Amino acid sequence: MFKSSGGERVMEIVNNILLLLIAVTMLFPFLYIFSVSFSSISDVLNSDFLLWPKDWVTDAYTYILGSDQFIRSLWVTVYVTVVGTFINLVFTSTMAYSLTRNIIGQRLILFLVLFTILFSAGMIPTYIIVKETGLLNSLWALIIPVAISPFNLIIMTQFFKGIPEELTEAALIDGANDIQIFSKVILPLSKPALAAFGLFYAVGHWNSYFSGVLYLNDPAKWPIQVILRQIVIVNEPNAALGGHAAMVEALPPPETVQMAAILLATLPILIVYPFLQKHFAKGVMLGSVKG
Amino acid sequence: MKNKHLIISFLLLFLSFMLVACTDENTGEKETDKENETAGETEKAPDTKVDPFDHSEKYTITGMTFRFGDPPPLSSPGLDLINERFNVDYKPEIIPQGDYVEKSSAIVASGSMPDLVGFQAGDTRFYQWAEDGAFLPLDDYLSHYVTLGKIPDYIYNSFKVNGKIYGIPRYSQPFPLTPIIRKDWLDKLGLEVPTNYEELEEIAIAFTKEDPDGNGKADTYGVAIGENINPNFNMGTYWDFNAWYHQNDNGDFIPGIISDGRKELVQFFANLYKEGAMTKDFAVLDWASTNNEFYSGKAGIFVGGVSGMSQEYFEGLLSINPDAELVAIPPFEAPDKSKGFTMGSGNSGILALNANLAEDEGKIYRALELVDFGKTYFPAEEKNPQNADFDFYLGKEGTGYNMENGLPVQVPTFSSDGLSPSTYFLDNREQVPEDAAINYADSYTLPELKEMTVSLQEMFESNQMYIDPSHGVLSQTNQEKGTDLMQFLINEQSKMIAGQRPVSDWDALVEEYLAKGGEAIIKETNEGIKAKGYTEREWK
Repeated sequence: MFKSSGGERVMEIVNNILLLLIAVTMLFPFLYIFSVSFSSISDVLNSDFLLWPKDWVTDAYTYILGSDQFIRSLWVTVYVTVVGTFINLVFTSTMAYSLTRNIIGQRLILFLVLFTILFSAGMIPTYIIVKETGLLNSLWALIIPVAISPFNLIIMTQFFKGIPEELTEAALIDGANDIQIFSKVILPLSKPALAAFGLFYAVGHWNSYFSGVLYLNDPAKWPIQVILRQIVIVNEPNAALGGHAAMVEALPPPETVQMAAILLATLPILIVYPFLQKHFAKGVMLGSVKG
Repeated sequence: MKNKHLIISFLLLFLSFMLVACTDENTGEKETDKENETAGETEKAPDTKVDPFDHSEKYTITGMTFRFGDPPPLSSPGLDLINERFNVDYKPEIIPQGDYVEKSSAIVASGSMPDLVGFQAGDTRFYQWAEDGAFLPLDDYLSHYVTLGKIPDYIYNSFKVNGKIYGIPRYSQPFPLTPIIRKDWLDKLGLEVPTNYEELEEIAIAFTKEDPDGNGKADTYGVAIGENINPNFNMGTYWDFNAWYHQNDNGDFIPGIISDGRKELVQFFANLYKEGAMTKDFAVLDWASTNNEFYSGKAGIFVGGVSGMSQEYFEGLLSINPDAELVAIPPFEAPDKSKGFTMGSGNSGILALNANLAEDEGKIYRALELVDFGKTYFPAEEKNPQNADFDFYLGKEGTGYNMENGLPVQVPTFSSDGLSPSTYFLDNREQVPEDAAINYADSYTLPELKEMTVSLQEMFESNQMYIDPSHGVLSQTNQEKGTDLMQFLINEQSKMIAGQRPVSDWDALVEEYLAKGGEAIIKETNEGIKAKGYTEREWK
């Protein structure tokens, strides 16, 4: 557009180098995990620092993929992520939209939502609710209790408020009812927001592990993160506080297996991420100023 | 307008707190009532004597415990075998060890405590809940059982609350972990196995500076150690931070962690730290990484035990240093002329029975029968398919295990597929009888590891073992503050080792400990020790 001065060019170069360095520091752990997972155990133990496998060994992957457990739990996580995110979006968007309408008790409901952000119920009351509603040991226990994130709900409400009232009115005059307005006018305009919140929710589902441990008694239903935790940091006996006996019951599997497991569990979400990421800033910022 | 809002907010706040409080308490009570009712119905006649081993009635038995490693699935051949044999509908919930405390607390708080409840060793909730009447006193029942009946009283005593036994111990062998050293490195540098801390310090420094593996690189050091100053490298009870061995001016026993022996040990570590002869980032290293430091051939001094050693790790070390040879360091003579290690507490976990079972004696017997069977000890010569009980325990030959070279080897998926009943017993540690002659080396196939185990066992058997008088003694203050106080001391001592606080501050640290509750712990524990009739130090 306009010619850049020398100073600006220097600035640009410095900037690029800086950003490149930051990118490298972000990539480095992944590269390390990747190399270790494809190395032999003795290579890993022998070298302090491994950036590229000396000879390619796939033992770790054979070990992990050899048991049903890993694949099964990966499916559980995919299921929970897909179904869970869908439910998240349906519940969050419908509630957020209705909160932008003039309904009775709107302020009260908003207050209740805010209240849960400030004072969350805590683990035991939540556990009791999950148990009494019969969700224990069902995958729904990982989905329903977190169906609406109050924080996301409030941001989405603000987003909907940014959509001009005139559009709704026009649709109303054309004879559309509330559900039609929502599904045919509002939702198509909110794609960036839906993509952004979908990503938030999906990553949340993918990474959640504690609810898996807490609500699912059957290891066959465990999501991948629980399995990953078992592989990477199982049995960490606090020997100093527990006395002699707390020793080596079983040590975690070798580092190569741990790294392979980490990589396999992270890869799917890592692949999805760039495709949704572009909607990110757009979706969250939309409604403020449009360019 | 503003006032109205304020009032509504307060009202809501109040309401929600009420709600939380109500659900918390009432569900608990309601559950118990319900359970009592159903228990009452199935009960035959409460006064008639029930035959402990009558299997005609089917019972549902629930349980929960912690597990290192992978828990088995909820339905499987192994579980079917148990249900069939004991005529029960057995519902064990096996939870990863790291999440056990939180999850079990949630389960109990939600009012559904199972029939059998496991605890990790030293979990103070056991004593609190027992005091609250949550568990069944077991004194009248234990004698019926082959295994449970033979566990010595001095072990059961640890599980007494108000004079009654509430817990069943999970077996742990009496020998502690003890320091081991790279013999091949000693030989290379022409050094001898140390006999006191000065020599050990010299060796650790030599391991750091004199290239004991001969590869020309400065890539080795002395002592492998991780967070919480663990392992503790006591070369005898005198230096053991866990044992109540030292006495104060009043003649009361004090915990090892504030003793002169511990101070000496902290000074020893501080010296090593300064010389770079111990793990530099010890304060943040977890147990697996600490193991890595040693088994990757970087460090020359670590700990080992007669059981529970990882053959995989040992093989890893041999693949890097084929000449690696490990030997146990015999106990040092302490300044007070004592010599020997501390004997273990005899348990590595506790199992308790829900007090609600009291309504149904038949169910108590059945539950205990399950527990008893899970703890059965099979001598080495009976670990084969010809022993029907053993064959059942591991899930039948060909399915749950195979015989290889005369030894039973479990199939790799025995736990994840739930093939063997053994994984489902909440306490599946064999309870080794006092008089059993065990050769710990039998459990390994690697010759080098066998050799080391033999040397460890010989060393323990030829030395005296100190009986810690504080085992099974309850101190209210210790239950409330003990864990935090211990962590406080460990943290401060870690600082001393790393040079952030001078070791000369020791007396001030001890004073801080005493003021924060240590004084009460010592007083209460000594009352308990005296009540047990303990006056002199006892070695076995």
